[in-house]
Order: sequence, then structure tokens, then C-alpha cells
Amino acid sequence: MFRNQYDTDVTVWSPEGRLLQVEYAMESVKQGSACVGLRSNSHCVLGALKRSVSELSWHQKKLLEIDDHMLVGIAGLTADARTLAKYMRNECLHNKYVYGTPMPPHQLMADVADKHQRTTQTYVRRPFGVGLLVASVDPLTQKPHLYQTCPSGNLYEFYASAIGARSQSARTYLEKHHETFGDASRDDLIVHALQALVGCVSGDDELTKENASIGIVGKDEKFTLLEGDALQPFLDRLELKGGDDDEEEAGDDAAAEAEPMET
Amino acid sequence: MASSGSGYDLSAATFSPDGRIFQVEYAGKAVENAGTVIGIHAKDGVVLGVAKPLYHKMIVPTTASYKRIHTVDVHAGVATTGFLPDARVLVGRAQEEAADWQEHYGSKVPPHVLADRLGHYVHYFTLHGALRPFGASCVLGGYDVDTKECGLYMLEPNGAAYKYYGVATGKGKQVAKTELEKLNLHKQDAESSMDVATAVKNVAKILILLHKENKDSDGKPMELELSWICEASKWKHAPIPKDVLTAAKEWANEQLEEEDEDDEEEEEAMEEG
Amino acid sequence: MWGMNHHHRSSAPADPKSHTTRPIVTGASVLGVKYNGGVMLAADTLLSYGSMAKTMNASRLMEIDQTLIGASGEYSDFQAIQEMLEAKSLQMQSGLLQEREGDEPPMTARSMWNYLRVVMYHRRNKMNPLWNSVVVAGKDGATGEFFLGNVDRLGTTVEDNIMATGFGAYMGVPLLREKWRPDMDEGEARALLEDCMKVLYYRDCRAASRIQLAKVSADGVLISEPYELETSWAGSTDYIPLNTPLALP
Repeated sequence: MFRNQYDTDVTVWSPEGRLLQVEYAMESVKQGSACVGLRSNSHCVLGALKRSVSELSWHQKKLLEIDDHMLVGIAGLTADARTLAKYMRNECLHNKYVYGTPMPPHQLMADVADKHQRTTQTYVRRPFGVGLLVASVDPLTQKPHLYQTCPSGNLYEFYASAIGARSQSARTYLEKHHETFGDASRDDLIVHALQALVGCVSGDDELTKENASIGIVGKDEKFTLLEGDALQPFLDRLELKGGDDDEEEAGDDAAAEAEPMET
Repeated sequence: MASSGSGYDLSAATFSPDGRIFQVEYAGKAVENAGTVIGIHAKDGVVLGVAKPLYHKMIVPTTASYKRIHTVDVHAGVATTGFLPDARVLVGRAQEEAADWQEHYGSKVPPHVLADRLGHYVHYFTLHGALRPFGASCVLGGYDVDTKECGLYMLEPNGAAYKYYGVATGKGKQVAKTELEKLNLHKQDAESSMDVATAVKNVAKILILLHKENKDSDGKPMELELSWICEASKWKHAPIPKDVLTAAKEWANEQLEEEDEDDEEEEEAMEEG
Repeated sequence: MWGMNHHHRSSAPADPKSHTTRPIVTGASVLGVKYNGGVMLAADTLLSYGSMAKTMNASRLMEIDQTLIGASGEYSDFQAIQEMLEAKSLQMQSGLLQEREGDEPPMTARSMWNYLRVVMYHRRNKMNPLWNSVVVAGKDGATGEFFLGNVDRLGTTVEDNIMATGFGAYMGVPLLREKWRPDMDEGEARALLEDCMKVLYYRDCRAASRIQLAKVSADGVLISEPYELETSWAGSTDYIPLNTPLALP
């Protein structure tokens, strides 16, 4: 294959000015199970679809607590995400120790993004193979923020977004409804998150209290995780799968997900 | 590309038989594919400008993670383009260099020193096989507190840091360059030389022109990010005030419409002739 | 040859490496009070070299990002703290993803006070302290409450309505405690601080009558030019602390 000579090292530019190793790392984000995030003017909610590797295994954790005011949802290599989460937790603790206040999310996100960038410019280690959705509340303004990271080191702030396998359908759902999220209540956001997730479930499966997971942070609300029975009331509020939202799934993933290298 | 596949283009540490370093050129491609940045050194200040397409409905447009122009120190700023994670690293380095100078000499770093040091840093990444050159470029504007003069520089992926009267880089650099040349920026002593207020308008005009001419951006919303250093900003690097920006945009759109009409008239005249 | 230096070092346990063990050029007390609508600091402008008056016009009060810092002790260390905080402030302001609306300072008084604690405590643990006692005064951006705190060279932090360092901790505090009220207005706060500065001038041989006042209020931060307190040794009992019987019993 012609392009193969430029795609095995992170430190090599292709003749078109692309970093193929980094683009491949971004592919691994699409292999992970889906994760959605959205925010109102007061809350930020993450939803994730948990996988279990076998019948005897528990469902794999998808939402990780970073601090009282911050959590991450992951898609891609879980072990890579754990490294990043550990780093983020440390930074939060450090900030609290040094300044006596919780870490400002935007500052942490800049550091995390730079951490990603470093792996793309030195020969020492491979890029991270994971994408993060970070739900947070700025401790100073008490305003919610939703960030998305990418193995390339790009960083975005969204009103709503989704990453991982079959996440295009979730994005379509969110795009259709995001203008109503601003004033939505905390519970409505949770239902929206679950509704968006429904489309990400693979064909013969469905969204249940076992495989769904919801995390919330908000103005004056510390990190809360909703799983299992606590989720059931929200699942009961979902429109049944097969509703009209699913028909819009047509959008092709390739086109929509080509964005992270964008400059 | 004629050279690709020759094997001389896989490392920044390799010269090709005709004396080129292809990896650096390829890194430059990342800049050529990215958004346009424009800088103008006017007679009484500097102006930096970037056009940002809003390529996603759900992105938060006001967020700082979307910022392309950064303040390096009170009196200096950079406008970035290319592979943005790389660009951010350049900005971080520029801030470190400025802080380093302050710590050592207790004064603000002169813009030419800042540009020079940043050039050294970028250049270092073009020497080693284990590193890759920066796929980013930035236009640096600064104010020299001692000489009371402004400076405008552009950093390229090869480490060059040249000084300019007017400069453009990124996707639309050819068109922008042609437009900038019409402004006679290099004749700074002439009475007709440009002041910052006019420079702001022209930066806005060129960026809007580029957006209109680009087929890919057709119809998509676009946001202008402009900053300046001049007397009005107390010689600090600051975003251009909203009212000035709005006025500049209006002026730019009017100008472009007029020019369009002129063109059409000319065409009509030609046809009639 | 090569080992000589090393040998010399390790063979001198009786003379271990030491850093600052005493201050050289010093400033005297800093006083502070909260009042209704703000917080105010006072310090004189004398620098002493041992018992010699070295210079009469050095400011020991500074503003950084709408927070006031005042320091007694080694003046060069205070200057180092000043530079450190200025660099920190710049770093925070131009931070890559910094997004601030309006004039919101990047660091509140409380977080600056906390940061200084970390620095001071860290330095003291390295047996290389910055020889100061620092008073921090300002406003908490989120709550709008006024803040008054102190960090000493050991990294001890104190937060209170009144504050005094140096000799002021001995002779200023009793006066401040007696006269301080939460509802005192700016004029009363100023009068109280000036009274205490006078007492310190009379009693502390490293203090001077040339002082500066500084305040943080809703209007922002203001540091006064140095000015002379009205003092008199002749025919005045000012130099006698309040509540002290004039004649020994």
C-alpha cells in the first residue's frame, strides 16, 4: 500500500500534512461503546452505554468521578482513560491543596489537551486511544461546561455531544433537540441523555438499567452517579425504541466523525 | 508529490538528494490546509485577525477552547493556525519565554526577542528524527516598551521568524497576500500610510472576502476574531472592542458589495463593447 | 583531585549547610482591620539594616490582582514574593483557555493566601524560609465578602478581623482587639490604625512615623502615598499604651 510508509510513526507527516498514526488513534475512540453528554444552564449530564465482556463479567465502568464538580465519560481504550482520569484527579487535588479552591475546569482541560499533544510529537509513546466527554461546573461561576477531548490533542466545548460506536444517531438526536436543553430541568436532561443513548444500542440489544449509566454535576449539585434501580424511573419515561428518532439514523458516521483533525 | 515514496521524506533528520527536508515541507501542508491568519503592522499599532468557521451546530462559540488568538504577555499576542494542538504548544512556549525574560531582566520582552526565541524552539523540532516539526504557524504582534514601537512577525514550521509589514498564512494566504499588497503597507512614512483603525477594517474585509470566495464555506456561519495593540488598547494586547468589530464588518461588507457591482458593470461594459 | 570537593563537604558535619537564619534588611509591623465595607492595611516605610535606618521610603504594601499584600521582615524576600505573585498572575491571566468576563481577577485574596501558605511551608521544610510575615487582604469574588489573613515564615495561616505582624503582634493586637467593631466605618478604621501605628512608632525602635494606608472596598483597591503621622515626644502621652497606669502603683 502506497500510504503505508507514512502511517507507522507518530512523528512523521504525510505528504498531505496529516498525522496518520494520530488519525488511527482516533479510530479507536469509535470502537468504544457510546457516551453522550449534554448541558442546560444549570446542569451537565453524561450518559453511557456499558458493555460486559462475557456473561460472567460485570458491566465495564464508563463514567469516572474526577472531583465533586467534574466527571468523565470515556470511549476507546479503557486503560488509557484510567491514566488520564488519574492525572485529572491528581491535578484537582493539587489545585485544592495549593489554592484552596476546586480546579477550574477550563484550566484542567487545557492541560489534558496538552498532555495528548505531547504524545503526538515525540517518539517516546503512542497517542492516547481514547476520547473523553468531560462534564463539569466552574467552581467560580457555578456554570456547567461540557468538553470533549480527542487523541489529537484537539479540545472542544459543546452544548451537547456524543462519542463512541453508533454515536451518530445520538448526535442526530441531540442536534435536533439541543436548542431546548438550555432551560431543561435536571430530570429532563437525564431523559434526553437516555433517549440519545437508545439509538446507540446494537441491533439485538436494548437499553436497560443494567447497561445504562448516568452521571450528573450541576450548580450546587455535587457529582452523582445513577445506575441500576435508580435509573428505572427515568428509563420508564423513554419513548419506546423504534420511535421516529431512529429513522434519522441514516447519517453516515464517516462524514460526521471526520471532524477531530479539523483546524 | 514527486518525492513521496523516495524514502528521503520520512524523517526531519534526512536531506533529500536535492537538499530539501521534506518532513518540514509536509508539516507546512498542515498549515496550508488550515484557516487563514492575517496580521498588519500599521503606523500606530498592530492588528491580528483570524476567521473561524462554525463547523458544528452544537459547539459553544464563546468558549475559550475555541480561541485562536492568545495573549502571550501584557504587550504581545499571537494568532495561530495549522494543527491547533501544536499551535497551543507554541503559544504556551511563547508565554514561558515572556515570563522567563521578565524573571531575568525585570522588563517586558521585546517582540523581536520573543520571535527569535520562538523561532529557535520551532527550529529544534526540525533537526531530529525522534521529533516532528510543528504543523502550525503563528503571527506574532508585540509592543516594545523601550523603543515604543510595534513589531509583527510570522513563525513558520521551519523555524523562520521574519518581520513583516503585512502577512498572511493558512489556506487563503495567496489571495490575502494579493489584497495586502494593494494596501501599500511598506510605505510607512508616506502620508497615506495606514492607521490601526483602517487596518482593522481591511483585515475584516480580507477575511470576509476569503470566506465568500471559498466554495467549501458557502453559506456556513463564520466568526471573526480580531485583536490589536495600539494607543486605544493602552499598548496592551487586547481583543478589538465589539462595536469597532461590528463597524469594521459592516464597512467590509459594503466595500465588497460595491466592488462586486463594479465588477459586474465592467463585465457588462465588456460585453457591450 | 576530583573527590576533594566532595570530601570537604562530607567531612564537616559540625558545619552543616545552612540558608537564611536571620533577616538582614527588615521592615517592621503591618497592621490590618476589616471594617464595614472593606478591609484596610497600614505599614510604615522604613527599612532597617540591623539597628540602622537604611531607607525611609520603601513601600511594604502592594496590590496584585485587586488583592493587597503587606509584609514585615526581610525586604528582599518580600520583593521575591512580589515577583513570584506577579508572574503567577500573568500566567493565570494569559492561561491558554482562560475565559473571564469583565475584570474578575484570576486569583481571589483567599486563594492567594492559600498559595502563599504552600510556598512558605514548603520553603520552611527545606530549611530555607522566606523571612516574612505576610498580611493578605481583599475580596472574595464569589461571595463578595472581605478577607483578611496572615501567613508567617513557617507557613502558619491565620484568618481574623484584625491582623498585626512584627512588634504589632505584641503591642498592636491588644489595642485593635479593644477598639475593633464589625460595624466601624472607614474613618474609624483609619483612626484606629493610625493610633496603633503611633504607639508602635513610640515603642518599636525599628518603626517609623512615615506610613502608608491601603484599602480594598467596593470601589477597588487604593494604596495611599506615604505620609507623616503627627507625633510628639514632648508633652504627649501618646507613647504610653492605652490602659497603662501613668504611675506605677
